[in-house]
Amino acid sequence: MSSKPKVAFYWNASCGGCEEAVVDLAEDILQVVEAVDIVFWPVALDFKKKDVEAMDDGEIAVSFINGAIRTDEQREMVELLRRKSGLVVAFGSCAHIGGIPGLANFYNRELIFDRAYRTVPSTPNPDGVLPRTSSDIDDDELTLPEFWDTVKTLDQVIDVDYYLPGCAPPPDLIMDAVTAILEANLPEKGTVLAPRKNLCDTCPRSESKPDKISIESLKRPYEIEADPEKCFLEEGIICLGMSTRSGCGERCINANMPCRGCFGPAEEVFDQGAKGLSAIASILGLEKEEELTDEDIERLIDRIPDLAGLFYMYSLPSSLLRRKKL
Amino acid sequence: MSEDPRIVVFCCNWSIYPGLQLSAIDENPDDLPGVSHIVSMCSGRVSPELVIEAFVNGAWGVMLAGCPTDECEHDGNYKTRKRFIMLRKVLEEFGIEPGRISMDWFSTGEVAKLKQSVREFVDRITEMGPARVVKEQELG
Repeated sequence: MSSKPKVAFYWNASCGGCEEAVVDLAEDILQVVEAVDIVFWPVALDFKKKDVEAMDDGEIAVSFINGAIRTDEQREMVELLRRKSGLVVAFGSCAHIGGIPGLANFYNRELIFDRAYRTVPSTPNPDGVLPRTSSDIDDDELTLPEFWDTVKTLDQVIDVDYYLPGCAPPPDLIMDAVTAILEANLPEKGTVLAPRKNLCDTCPRSESKPDKISIESLKRPYEIEADPEKCFLEEGIICLGMSTRSGCGERCINANMPCRGCFGPAEEVFDQGAKGLSAIASILGLEKEEELTDEDIERLIDRIPDLAGLFYMYSLPSSLLRRKKL
Repeated sequence: MSEDPRIVVFCCNWSIYPGLQLSAIDENPDDLPGVSHIVSMCSGRVSPELVIEAFVNGAWGVMLAGCPTDECEHDGNYKTRKRFIMLRKVLEEFGIEPGRISMDWFSTGEVAKLKQSVREFVDRITEMGPARVVKEQELG
């Protein structure tokens, strides 16, 4: 029997990009499969839940679990993997801080079902049928997992040992994490396996950034052609690098798009959205801030619709408020 | 008996808080039930994170008592004014009404004005009731 450490990959409320990130390891994945046995990976390999159930507790060395948690089935699977695994790594933004699915926390199950199955123009559903946990069809019972009102991060459901941030985590950080696990050279439990700096610190545009930036008018990315050399804030485009952890490889910045916070809060930041808000508000109309009336400030702010959705784009379930109370 | 409102008043260490302490010799600033005064090293230090944390911990309303225009040594009042206006808009999307976040500006000697403002804020918030914030146990 193989003595190689066993590894599992699993997905929950996610887009599949994290699975793609593993494939993006390219040739490096050969090193990984040489060193470990992948015993469970629904997207790529034909192992079943019963195979995991048949294992001893703690038999899997490490489970990389991506996606947020929003159904009973997802909870059941991650609880099973937690029991069977020595280490659990929350893999990617959704498992780490809630991610894009976490924006559902501005709504609840009823509102989401109503939109997705009743009022959305692209779904004809004249009978108004909604998903149910149990349906009787020709004397057979068909079941679906319960869909939750609230999207949760992985560590709000099971104990998590480490976090690999990003939408999706970049190959270098994945390899660093795998190497650290194989060499048993891991930092303190609970560590985010990425640099401690914030993105502005490592941004290629920070060199040319002026000492003082005053945003006279907020712009949305589609409204202007951003200068690829200039700090986005200098051009009035909201970029969340100041409140976001670095380590992504500045992929969005290099594609001339501002940071939206997928790497989660920088070290010492409690609430990524509130910190981003604070930084942007501070430099809004900075040059003549003492002359601004409250109405002037409101006008400057109102250029951007859905500020909460912007500042909490990736982190709503892990924010201080966690969700909107409906 | 109806529940007392829970109000947090952040006071600047360099203006209204010393005024409040001096005046407190014969009148306790925390006399109003449910009102807590917290000293901050400048209104600019009262970050949106602190305001949200107050709501998460049960505050019905948060008031900021900073220095008047031109009286802040650090321009913190200008920064915080912009942050609070933006925060009100963001929290409205969470279902927390803008009226629950108040800011006003006071010189050291304006304790009577502060007390009046706090009383009016307490009345307003009492009428509004508790803020709509989800508690951990409600999340299932």
